[in-house]
Amino acid sequence: MFPDFLSPQIISLIWQSTLDTLTMVAVAAGLGTFFGLPLGVFLATSKRGELFASPLANLVLGTLVNATRSTPFIILVVAIIPFTRLIAGTSIGTAAAIVPLTVAATPFIARLIEGAVREVDQGLVEAARAMGATPLQIVRKVLVPEALPAIVLGLTLALVSLIGFSAMVGAVGGGGLGDLGIRYGYQRFMPDVMAAVVAVLIVLVQLVQSIGDRLARRLNKRLRHA
Amino acid sequence: MNAPVRPDAVVVGALPIAVPDPAIRFEAVGKTYPARRGQQPVTALEGIDLDVPAGAILGVIGRSGAGKSTLIRLVNGLERATAGRILIEGENVTGLNEAGWRRQRRRIGMIFQHFNLLSSRTVFDNVALPLEIAGTPRAEISAKVERLLALVGLSDKSERYPSELSGGQKQRVGIARALATDPKVLLCDEATSALDPETTRSILALLKQVNRELGITILLITHEIPVIKEICDRVAVIEDGRIVEQGETFSVFTNPQHPTTALFVEAVTGVEVPAHLEGQIRAVPREGDNLVLRITFTGANATAPVISRLSAVVGVDVNILAGRIDAIAGQPFGSLLVSIPARLPESDAVLGALRALGLKAEVVGHVS
Repeated sequence: MFPDFLSPQIISLIWQSTLDTLTMVAVAAGLGTFFGLPLGVFLATSKRGELFASPLANLVLGTLVNATRSTPFIILVVAIIPFTRLIAGTSIGTAAAIVPLTVAATPFIARLIEGAVREVDQGLVEAARAMGATPLQIVRKVLVPEALPAIVLGLTLALVSLIGFSAMVGAVGGGGLGDLGIRYGYQRFMPDVMAAVVAVLIVLVQLVQSIGDRLARRLNKRLRHA
Repeated sequence: MNAPVRPDAVVVGALPIAVPDPAIRFEAVGKTYPARRGQQPVTALEGIDLDVPAGAILGVIGRSGAGKSTLIRLVNGLERATAGRILIEGENVTGLNEAGWRRQRRRIGMIFQHFNLLSSRTVFDNVALPLEIAGTPRAEISAKVERLLALVGLSDKSERYPSELSGGQKQRVGIARALATDPKVLLCDEATSALDPETTRSILALLKQVNRELGITILLITHEIPVIKEICDRVAVIEDGRIVEQGETFSVFTNPQHPTTALFVEAVTGVEVPAHLEGQIRAVPREGDNLVLRITFTGANATAPVISRLSAVVGVDVNILAGRIDAIAGQPFGSLLVSIPARLPESDAVLGALRALGLKAEVVGHVS
């Protein structure tokens, strides 16, 4: 479409940036789910009178989650540079960018999962308790499977948000599509690159959303499917 | 050699013969919820003494908020008693810790008003859940679940999801699931309250079958008197956290002692005065009026040819206004609204004859 503008070098740059974005988002989402799932389940089950009742821990973790979530992402990226360096060995580059992305994704995913788990009918928890299930069995066999369609939708939302966040990690040399758009599209006045970056992002988000929706629908057995 | 005789043993001659322990026994059980900030503690149950004999079906009836949900949850430790003792098959379970309760719960099945089936699992996997929880080997689970599904008549729905089933089918899955770990006791928490009358009937029939064929003791709570009438051997009436009356269903129904019980049973035993007669029945007689009587039949009397006998013996015309004969806990019970001439001595003769037949008769009013 832009034979004169999108040179092979630019196209390979866009390709590389897309891969970087996908890597950052995928790893951050994976790690975010790894930490966020247990955290979310705990937040959903640890208030007074609940399965893992420990109101104090719930309050502390809840506050921590809120604090992280209320920090603007770009400030978070800068604020945790020492931590990033500790984990990744450097504070610059795509690998380093995964640290703040994960730190931002974890509480976000935790809240989404908390919401999904809280939606599970308490009657099911009671039924499982009446069968003699341990709290962990209740989580594994009842809460998570029953919340799964909502969890998948939540993770889809988190992925889309992460694609957005990943554009900001260019600030620490994170690379990826956002970085490409800023450096080439904006700073070098190359509107074709900017347009291409936006187009790729639109396609990515569209793809993630429709795969997520489809998966959630398939997992949801609550609707009659004749 | 004076062996101590257990208080619940019957002594015949010199030999104590042990009466089997009741499946569930409540001894002066109470449940008080601690005070919330700025509020008084709430007493949900107080002084509950109740035996559920092994193999029986006992129904607890009460209005919502009377404490019946709490009562049934004390049996499997979903709620903990704050006073008294609860014994299951003679074993005191009052002080159990959570792990002890988990073991106990595997011997007690429970079904619920809203079924509480997992929407993400098929019928088969729902029934398999308690077995998975108990750590039963896979191969055993499969055979067991198929047997249970056959018992409740849902073998063909094995791979369906709960959302594809009707309410009655869902409760059948609930029953199969509750029976999976071979419990001795089945708790039914308003198990038919979300079902239509016809489906209720079929679920009650299944519960009765489970009780008779598998020898499982059933404790159920309900606010629907027909449920008690249909399947319960014994009934306890609960009000404001106390049991106000209990006994065999038939005797409680035919001779209620407490006003609340009377109110409950009226709906199924009393013959209401038909609407078209209500306006015509007067408390004060006029010239030439007939007397309106309500005759209550119980047990063997219910099938006796009372009316023809009255006509033959006393020689008066008996006019039937309304009537109904029903079965309560398998025993016939009926009542009849009749009018007879109000003139003495015929009316006295009729009342005398009824009393002689062992029937309860009361004067409702007068009608022309």
